Amino acid sequence: MKMKAKLVFWIGLAVLAAIVIYHLNWDLVRALEFSTVWEYREVMVWALGMSLMIAFIATAIGLVVGTLLAIVSQSSLPILRWIVVIYVEIFRNTPILVMLIWVHFALPILTGFTTTAFQSGLIAMGLQSSAYFSEIVRAGIGAVPRGQWEAALALGLPLRPRWTEIVLPQALRIIIPPLANLAISLFKATSILSILSISELMTVSTRISNFTFKPIEVLTVAACMYCIVGYLMSRGTLRLERHLREGER
Amino acid sequence: MEFDLHTLIRFFPVLLEGLWMTVIISTVSLGFGVIIGLIACLGKLMERGIEYRLATNFIDFFRTIPEMVLIFWVYSCLPLLFDLRLSAETCGILALSLYSGAFLAEIFRAGILAVPREQIEGALALGLPKIPVWRFVILPQAIRRMMPAFVNFLTELIKASSLLSAIGITELVYQASTLGAQTFRYVEFLSAIALLYFLIILPFSLYSRRSEIALVRRTGQ
Repeated sequence: MKMKAKLVFWIGLAVLAAIVIYHLNWDLVRALEFSTVWEYREVMVWALGMSLMIAFIATAIGLVVGTLLAIVSQSSLPILRWIVVIYVEIFRNTPILVMLIWVHFALPILTGFTTTAFQSGLIAMGLQSSAYFSEIVRAGIGAVPRGQWEAALALGLPLRPRWTEIVLPQALRIIIPPLANLAISLFKATSILSILSISELMTVSTRISNFTFKPIEVLTVAACMYCIVGYLMSRGTLRLERHLREGER
Repeated sequence: MEFDLHTLIRFFPVLLEGLWMTVIISTVSLGFGVIIGLIACLGKLMERGIEYRLATNFIDFFRTIPEMVLIFWVYSCLPLLFDLRLSAETCGILALSLYSGAFLAEIFRAGILAVPREQIEGALALGLPKIPVWRFVILPQAIRRMMPAFVNFLTELIKASSLLSAIGITELVYQASTLGAQTFRYVEFLSAIALLYFLIILPFSLYSRRSEIALVRRTGQ
């Protein structure tokens, strides 16, 4: 069985490699010049910083709004709970791109406020991240044992310390790993903002590639930059997860 | 402003064409993605050796690269590198297939690894040959366990297919933004496609969450 599986794997790979080697335009590959990209290194690193900053702000918005939504969703008023459910379902089940162009092109017509591309991007990402994050927080709160709630109530703790002293600290341990994953997907999603030409890494690299006529070099380097940062972030998340699990014992 | 339903209805067939394109592209990419995912999953199940290394690198790479970057790379670099004329649709399908291949490989692997070891050992101890073990013991249980994650990924794929409008594929978002630009009725068209996406994705997303809960209850994990 193992031999057969290996065989299937290698045959698939060999066919693919044969196609690639046969069709690759070797003259073009030999003429690739990565030195052009090196000239633009500062701009690209700045743009990467911009992407990271947008992802960070979007995570922060999601953190604040999402936590509020999660707390509201525990309310005893059904109407409040329903509003949260509708909000979460809408933004979880629509593509971020659609939200982005909706916020940028339709919202100004409806409200009369015009937003800059940067603001629209942050609003769209904030809406999406808060919807996802409220679900994460809700799961985290749900995982806090009922006994803790009852004990806090029995001790006569008022509403605020009940949340800030008892429930949230315990929920936090469960929340942090999925939050880190959310931050990674938000970082990936910043590339979508290039649709509105916000000067993050994707927009900047498309601009450079149009200017220098070297799309292969510039885009490949940009892809690698995204990949390296995303990889480092996910490694960090894994380490954090392990650390938290050890702290529990 | 008033909501111009008339224009929306007049151009609705165009939106439906876009919807059809979205459905076709997502389905075809899912099909190719399943094939790529199975191969990568096989490699990763080896647990060591060069196949494992290759599959892991492939999966990690395409899971970390943003979909938008991947689509643009395939669209603007691949035809140059291979000296080919590829239509935007082919490029989009290729990019989405690679993306879904990487994610599906992990989903398949998680499903297969979630089958309790005793089941496999029991089947082997009863003298069942390897292929029936896979066919009747591992796969049915693995498929049931991977279903929620698979359907959830399907929703992600439909969402990612909206990005293909950036390379000029005439799917839902592309049609809506062109129509919006032509008629200046952005609110109507963009709200309509937001609603359409919501209506397509919601059943999958609900199914995925319901079956996840049912699965946890049944298997007690």
